[in-house]
Amino acid sequence: QESWTMTTTWPTSLELIEIDKHFVELANKLTGDDLSIEFFEGGALVPAGEVFGAVESGTIQAGGDWPGYWAGRNSAFSPLATTASLFNAVDYVNWIQQWGGAEIYNEIYGKFGMVYLPYGVTNNESGFRTNKKIETLDDLQGMRLRLSGLEQGRLLEELGGSQVSMAGGEIYQSLERGVIDGAEFSTPNVDFSGGFQQVTKFWATPGWHQSASVFGVMINKDSWDALKPETREMLQVAADANLIWSLAFTEKRATEAYQQFKDAGIEITRYDDATLEKIQVMANGVIETTACENPDSAMVYLSMMEYLGDYAKWRDASAPFNLGRTPNGPDIEKLRACAAQ
Amino acid sequence: MIIKAIDTLNEVVGRVVSVVAIVFAAMIIFDVIMRYVFNAPTRWAFDVTKQLYGFYFVMLGGYALRHQSHVRVDLVTETLGNTARRWVEVAGYLIFFFPFAWVFVTRSWDFGMKSWQQGETTYGSVQLPVYPLKLAMAAAAFLLLIQGISEVLKLILGREVPHHDS
Amino acid sequence: MFGLLLTGLFMGHPLAFVLGGTAVLGTLIAGKPMVLGIVINRIFGDVLDNFTLIAIPLFILMARFLSDSGVTDKMFESLRLLLSNVRGGLALAVVFISILLAATTGIIGASITVMGVMALRPMLQYGYSPTLTTGVIAASGCLGILIPPSIMLILMASYSPLSVGELFAGAMIPGVLLGLLYAVWVVIVAIFDPKSAPAVEPDEKIARAALVRMLLIEALPPLVLILGILGSLLAGIATATEASAIGAALALGIVILRRKFEWKTFYSAMLETGRTSAMILFIVVGATAFTGVFNITGGLRATQEIIRSLDMAPWLLIVMMLFIVFILGAFLDWTGIVLLSFPIFLPIVQEMDVNLLWFVVLMALVLQTSFLTPPFGYALFYLRAIAPKEVRTGQIIAGVMPFIGLIILMCIAVAFIPQLVLWLPHTLYTN
Ligand code: NA
Ligand code: NA
Repeated sequence: QESWTMTTTWPTSLELIEIDKHFVELANKLTGDDLSIEFFEGGALVPAGEVFGAVESGTIQAGGDWPGYWAGRNSAFSPLATTASLFNAVDYVNWIQQWGGAEIYNEIYGKFGMVYLPYGVTNNESGFRTNKKIETLDDLQGMRLRLSGLEQGRLLEELGGSQVSMAGGEIYQSLERGVIDGAEFSTPNVDFSGGFQQVTKFWATPGWHQSASVFGVMINKDSWDALKPETREMLQVAADANLIWSLAFTEKRATEAYQQFKDAGIEITRYDDATLEKIQVMANGVIETTACENPDSAMVYLSMMEYLGDYAKWRDASAPFNLGRTPNGPDIEKLRACAAQ
Repeated sequence: MIIKAIDTLNEVVGRVVSVVAIVFAAMIIFDVIMRYVFNAPTRWAFDVTKQLYGFYFVMLGGYALRHQSHVRVDLVTETLGNTARRWVEVAGYLIFFFPFAWVFVTRSWDFGMKSWQQGETTYGSVQLPVYPLKLAMAAAAFLLLIQGISEVLKLILGREVPHHDS
Repeated sequence: MFGLLLTGLFMGHPLAFVLGGTAVLGTLIAGKPMVLGIVINRIFGDVLDNFTLIAIPLFILMARFLSDSGVTDKMFESLRLLLSNVRGGLALAVVFISILLAATTGIIGASITVMGVMALRPMLQYGYSPTLTTGVIAASGCLGILIPPSIMLILMASYSPLSVGELFAGAMIPGVLLGLLYAVWVVIVAIFDPKSAPAVEPDEKIARAALVRMLLIEALPPLVLILGILGSLLAGIATATEASAIGAALALGIVILRRKFEWKTFYSAMLETGRTSAMILFIVVGATAFTGVFNITGGLRATQEIIRSLDMAPWLLIVMMLFIVFILGAFLDWTGIVLLSFPIFLPIVQEMDVNLLWFVVLMALVLQTSFLTPPFGYALFYLRAIAPKEVRTGQIIAGVMPFIGLIILMCIAVAFIPQLVLWLPHTLYTN
């Protein structure tokens, strides 16, 4: 009988916490008397940015997260969390479960004495919410936009915008007062609960900066090793089940929220295909540069690109009934060279 | 001798670090001007000002203790005789201050060293190192701990300064 | 853990370290020393790595610059001369200056000390009763932490889902109304007990027109500050955090324009700001350590379950929570109260579908009493420190009692008319 304390990076006010809660519920049911996980909302035990350290040091046994928050410790966490114009949610699921992604998560988290179970995936993030219409790349010139992430910031700067860092709690007011020209936050349902429809008029889709996102649980290695093999298997089952549940759940919620934004009178624009093509080229460049600064990061991107290349054979053959597009991503040979360093 | 050395150390730290407030105030204003007037916000102001603020106040903990600026309820102890009050205050340090300060020093040291070994940075388009601030927290905790030793020695030797209101 | 906390407080140990020490001992009492690590995680993540809290030292610095510039003294002088022959005029001057000061600064120590030094002796000399004198100075001096900009509202925003701007807007009307309520009370006392609030023969003869002109000139600098801070916020130039830096710079500008700038006072203002900031933020350090240990050892869950199991009507639950805040206010500093009570109360309030902004502003109002209620009341400490020996501590305490009553009256008004809180943020923040 083991008992774990677990928290997450999300406060109760953000719907993303539902993914964590659903996993804890499943895990507690499946593991029966062998393991009980006591779950605390984000902030109750440690602030969001400290969940990693608390699990790493074994102060708590488990912590729900979005890997991108730890990119300051190793930039390879960034592609484990999201990509700029590369993977969609199904790509992440395929890659994690069948193309060796799960092992890569554990290799990177393993460097910090942790085991990782990816258990949540959301598809495309909303994109920028602004008070000035964005349709082409020219509209992005000189715009001060709140955006988080390393590759994302570099990409925006190449596109002529400025990345403004800002605490989550200040975004609403800064949009309202024009301190920033626009902001991206999360998926449509999470954005709606943040009240962005009250302070912006336009919404530019798609969210090229974050084509899909992964969430999961970090588990202290010693705590994981203390479990019986059957219990570990049950946790894996719970994580796998949660991964697919989260995809359907969040896509449903995003669809509902899309309608809510429309009903609130928000004008929703789309970048044209030529613009998205240009962004893709720039994103590829940023990915190559960033990956080549860190062999771990290059290794992750390489594995992702190998998956895309491999899957493309069948994905493209099954068009138009296929699952998403095969992006024309970064140069795989360049990534291979950087990963070998 | 020890008392004097510790007091002087925290006094010097306090006098130097207090000036940092002006530095981060100026940075914030610079960033506001760059953003609002020139439409070119700096890439570093958010993280640098935040780190400077953290450094500023945490380093001043020992200095504030040296000047007895930390608020306390002295309505009860005020009614005690001088000797009794001094011993009650020493007991307060032994029960509350030292356990906390000890944990603060040792754990922040581990915390800072781990960040240093990992070369931790912020994760935006500017990657600013985070470990200097975490190590500064450990240094600040140490300054606080030794100031506590000085204050207790003053109480035991009956050489305390009158309580200060800030 | 709360027993240990109270023991430490009454031993006269600094609150910050009583909280921190109790957190450390609490893990041992609960038999979970391995959770000690969260103390450091919380101190770093909640207090050091917190952009919103940058405003705390900067607003303190602004207050220091402002009182160094002599603006406060001059403003009080001119208002005193203007109102001197009105019954209760001096007390009214104290209230009005305090409201104006409150709208420019966010710390109470500064306004109470200034008012105490400027107004206390003249009022006693002219025959004002010691109870009314101390009461009006203590109560009005605390308005600074309710009327924005306020470091208390900043801390509250930092530990709740609300934004600083929203909270500032929400607290504005109740704060100013509370100040006006104090003025009404002074008038009532002056009418029914003229001996305690006499009219004063002006000791200097100044033409009324000259007086009004003087008042306008003296009131100008604080108005510039208010406009600078609120203006930069509303015009979209700066966030609330950044506005604090603008405020400090403007206050420094006023010092220089009034030719009051000296390197020596400039430097001593920084040293004093450093000590005060460290004092306040170390209470946050201690309180966040305490809260983390309290939560992880099961205290949070147990407390919330007890409250839920009471199964009370929402309004009764809110009254109970506010009453707890009132009682805590007698013993703890506002920083500690906010950090201890928010994690327990706010989730419950959100579950009940009660407007969070309204609840937090109500709590800010109730916290006004914490400065006035013995044994632990900042305002009482400050007044005791500056009042002459003849004024007994008992008189100070008796003096603040009616004002505690007025605060409760204001709470009732806000409770029944939520629009007092909600109207301004709603008007400002929706298209
Ligand atoms: Na104020
Ligand atoms: Na009190």
